[in-house]
Amino acid sequence: MSDESALLREPWIDFGRQREAGKFGIWVFLASETLFFGALLLTYTACRIEHPDAFAAAGRETNVWYGTINTAVLLTSSLTMAVAAQAAEEAARLRRLVLACLIITAMLGLAFIVIKGFEYKEDIDKHLVPGAGFALPQPGAQLFYGFYWLVTGVHAIHLSIGIGLVSRLIWVLYRRELPAKDNPEIEVTALYWHLVDIVWIFLYPLIYLPGRAS
Amino acid sequence: MNRRGASGDIRHLWVRNLLIWAALLVLLLLSLIAAYIPMGRITTATGIVIAAAKSTLVVLLFMELASAKPLIRLAAIAGLVFLMAMFALTFADVLARP
Repeated sequence: MSDESALLREPWIDFGRQREAGKFGIWVFLASETLFFGALLLTYTACRIEHPDAFAAAGRETNVWYGTINTAVLLTSSLTMAVAAQAAEEAARLRRLVLACLIITAMLGLAFIVIKGFEYKEDIDKHLVPGAGFALPQPGAQLFYGFYWLVTGVHAIHLSIGIGLVSRLIWVLYRRELPAKDNPEIEVTALYWHLVDIVWIFLYPLIYLPGRAS
Repeated sequence: MNRRGASGDIRHLWVRNLLIWAALLVLLLLSLIAAYIPMGRITTATGIVIAAAKSTLVVLLFMELASAKPLIRLAAIAGLVFLMAMFALTFADVLARP
């Protein structure tokens, strides 16, 4: 437990309390994020009730393979992130495992962004950007794609922030500026990362799966 | 002894988390297949139910809410409670329109 003094921050005098407060703080933040993304999903649902056929037609135009592969990529990144966080709690000698898993997590996050980039390119080529020259005739389809661009864009920003946070962790752990064992920063970053994954888990059926059966 | 302990730790870590990961991928595949089966209005509902199952796995096991203290659980649930209020109030209007 000699690492605790290196990790203790103002205003806490007790490391246990600091960890609890950090965990509580990030969960409150994640609850606010739930409301933020929830409001977007609510808008989607309300619009979809108004235009069910247009949303099915628009959903068919998305590339289900990019979406599915990206979901698998994010789920795998959650796996490596969870292993990193749990290994950091487990024992100081697992530092290399923590580092390796964090590096893989950041790389999977980058892979997601790259795949999304290819998908965006395809969407733009198919004229699926709302506005003049939009590919689909139904007005509801533009609403769908308005949601699509907004929500995937906001998600990509969140993921980019996550990649930045994980990269920073890799840097400080690699240079041994902070110990990995019981480091609350790993815990908090992991929780944020998982939430970004959960947001995508819900976006997947809403964006990529409508209209496939018809 | 010590080395053996370390590899035992690592093995345990991976087995537990790989099982959760495998379950998540199976659910992903399931939702993809279900989307192509014509079930009318249930199709999207199926996708959302599977998404809820996936995120429950992530929240309880990856984010360790299953073993978290009550205060942490309350903070996590607060978001869901307000979300439900938001959906309920909105649909009270949207679904009741003529």
